[in-house]
Amino acid sequence: MSTRGCAIILAIVVVVALAFPREHSAQAASAALDARANPSQSLAIVVNRSNPINNLSFSELRKIFMGDRNHWPNGHRIAIVMLEYGQPERRAVLRLIYRMDEKTYQDVLLRGMFRGDVFVAPKTLASPTIVRKFVFNAPGGIGYLRASDVDESVKVIRIDGLLPEDKGYRLQIDESSKATDD
Amino acid sequence: MSATRFLVVQTGTIRAKVKHACTLGAFLLLLAGSLCAQQPEVTVSVDAQKLQELLTRIADLEQSQKQLLQRVAQLETLSGVHSPAVTSASGPVASSSSSPSLVLAGGSPKPEPTKPAPGNGQQSEQSPTMGETDHMDVSRTALNIRGFGDFGFYGGNQKGQTSSFSIGQTNLFITSDLSERVRFLTELVFEVHQNNSFETDLERVLLEGSLNDYLKLSGGRYHTAIGYYNTAYHHSTWFQTATERPYIFEYEDEGGILPIHMVGVQASGQIPSGKLGLHYIAEVGNGRTSNPVAEPVQNYVDENGHKAFNAAIFARPDAIPGLQFGFSVYKDSLSVPDSPRINETITDAYAVLIRPRFEWLNEALMIRHAPSGQHVYETPAFYSQISERFGMYTPYLRYQYVNASSHEPVFPQVGLRTGPSVGMRFDATESVAFKLQYDYTFLRRQGPIDGKSCIQLSMCAPSAAAVQVDFKF
Repeated sequence: MSTRGCAIILAIVVVVALAFPREHSAQAASAALDARANPSQSLAIVVNRSNPINNLSFSELRKIFMGDRNHWPNGHRIAIVMLEYGQPERRAVLRLIYRMDEKTYQDVLLRGMFRGDVFVAPKTLASPTIVRKFVFNAPGGIGYLRASDVDESVKVIRIDGLLPEDKGYRLQIDESSKATDD
Repeated sequence: MSATRFLVVQTGTIRAKVKHACTLGAFLLLLAGSLCAQQPEVTVSVDAQKLQELLTRIADLEQSQKQLLQRVAQLETLSGVHSPAVTSASGPVASSSSSPSLVLAGGSPKPEPTKPAPGNGQQSEQSPTMGETDHMDVSRTALNIRGFGDFGFYGGNQKGQTSSFSIGQTNLFITSDLSERVRFLTELVFEVHQNNSFETDLERVLLEGSLNDYLKLSGGRYHTAIGYYNTAYHHSTWFQTATERPYIFEYEDEGGILPIHMVGVQASGQIPSGKLGLHYIAEVGNGRTSNPVAEPVQNYVDENGHKAFNAAIFARPDAIPGLQFGFSVYKDSLSVPDSPRINETITDAYAVLIRPRFEWLNEALMIRHAPSGQHVYETPAFYSQISERFGMYTPYLRYQYVNASSHEPVFPQVGLRTGPSVGMRFDATESVAFKLQYDYTFLRRQGPIDGKSCIQLSMCAPSAAAVQVDFKF
């Protein structure tokens, strides 16, 4: 075999050797994504650290946000906090928990207040930082944050036994849903 | 409210005194400490009597501080508030609006919040609840106000009826959260009656306390929880699909046959029932007057000692979102002039399906009037209404029926009234809707309710049309 041939074979081997681990690592990353949700896309449900609740079923969560349940087991009144109109986290909550668009949500909320079904309207706050502060300060507070925005001042609760980083966690922010949600 | 304010103001004054006393005490202690510390090095001539006086004064101040702290704790317990330092912890949170209502707030803004201490397991004891956060500042009065109104053009072929532009009800719906568990609610309505004069009514005035999910207590003037419609739509045409309420739920001062309003107390809440979603409502109040020329709602004085009672149970099963069904029983005793006492029983059953784009209401009731020792009169009534929204358009159909005896002792003028209504609601914007409705109604013995036609015992079928603009603000 000529020197030129050896060089070609060597080049092919090097290319394959370099390519294989890359493909392998891509597969591993994909598997990791399957196993653990993207923290910036997962929506964490947060409560005050003093709240004894650690887990809610999705239907219980929906009842809380719809105003059908107004008190925690420890007696504190539930204080829902929503992010302001147009934010991706809010759109995700409207789509996944309320199952309605912004207009319908406003209408249902106003109707609930008018009828007396909703005792106090949810707080609407401007940013995740203020949401964290609110939930930290309000023993009955419940809100939502991107998992990447959560810190230790609030407690993340499991939804159907799953945390935001767990596989199968259903509260995911869909950035592409803006057009349909609004 | 004023008592609470007084307590809080007093608390603030005492707190200031405590602070002053603490500062003085600390200064004296520091002075004494520095004097002692300097003793080994510098010889200072201190009058022993003076020193004793100072020590005595420190002891007095400490004792006074102790008493004041105890008093502050007592007052805070009474008024249910925490210290100002805690109050300020979530200032901007309170300043944020609660959608979808307008918040009117007076008073100085709250200070910037302190940064939460991460991992502080004690914050629940130090932190106020949301209600406290909102309302501890006594200089702040927060009213949530929403308004609703309507305006229309109405006409019909009933004899004597003219076509007219009409101002409907202008409704200010006002709520105020007095604490975490107490809320004030009112509906202030400006309306025009048949004589073209304006009237102002507090249609609902309620003080509500929510103890837990199973018990909410309310007192004041409210809409009687007879069936569904009366507590679902109240005094706003905005929320209802059609231009008018079903005839059986017309207001008392517009010829309605039910005790729509009641002044009294109410208890309501959930019944532990899992996925069935049972709820209850129990009410005791003045009931309605028996005097046909008096104000129908007995707001201040009851004409008799007997109280009306209403009980309702309804279910919202998880399995079928939007479904609600239930029944109610209302009992009262009426003292109609020149007539024996009448026992009144109103039973209602309903099933409704309310979804964002679909609505199906079905409700039937029986009004039973039993004069002592005389014939019992039973008046059946029902309505059914269905609608579906297609974009901005919501076509709807309603059929209603009420059939009262010619000798009915409480509402002898009603007779038979039945027929369909068809209409279209057009939601032009998020706050303005147009409605067009056509009614075709068979009437028997329709006299004083609508005016001058369908004279006694004749049967006629007038039709009417309405164009209405509803808006919220």
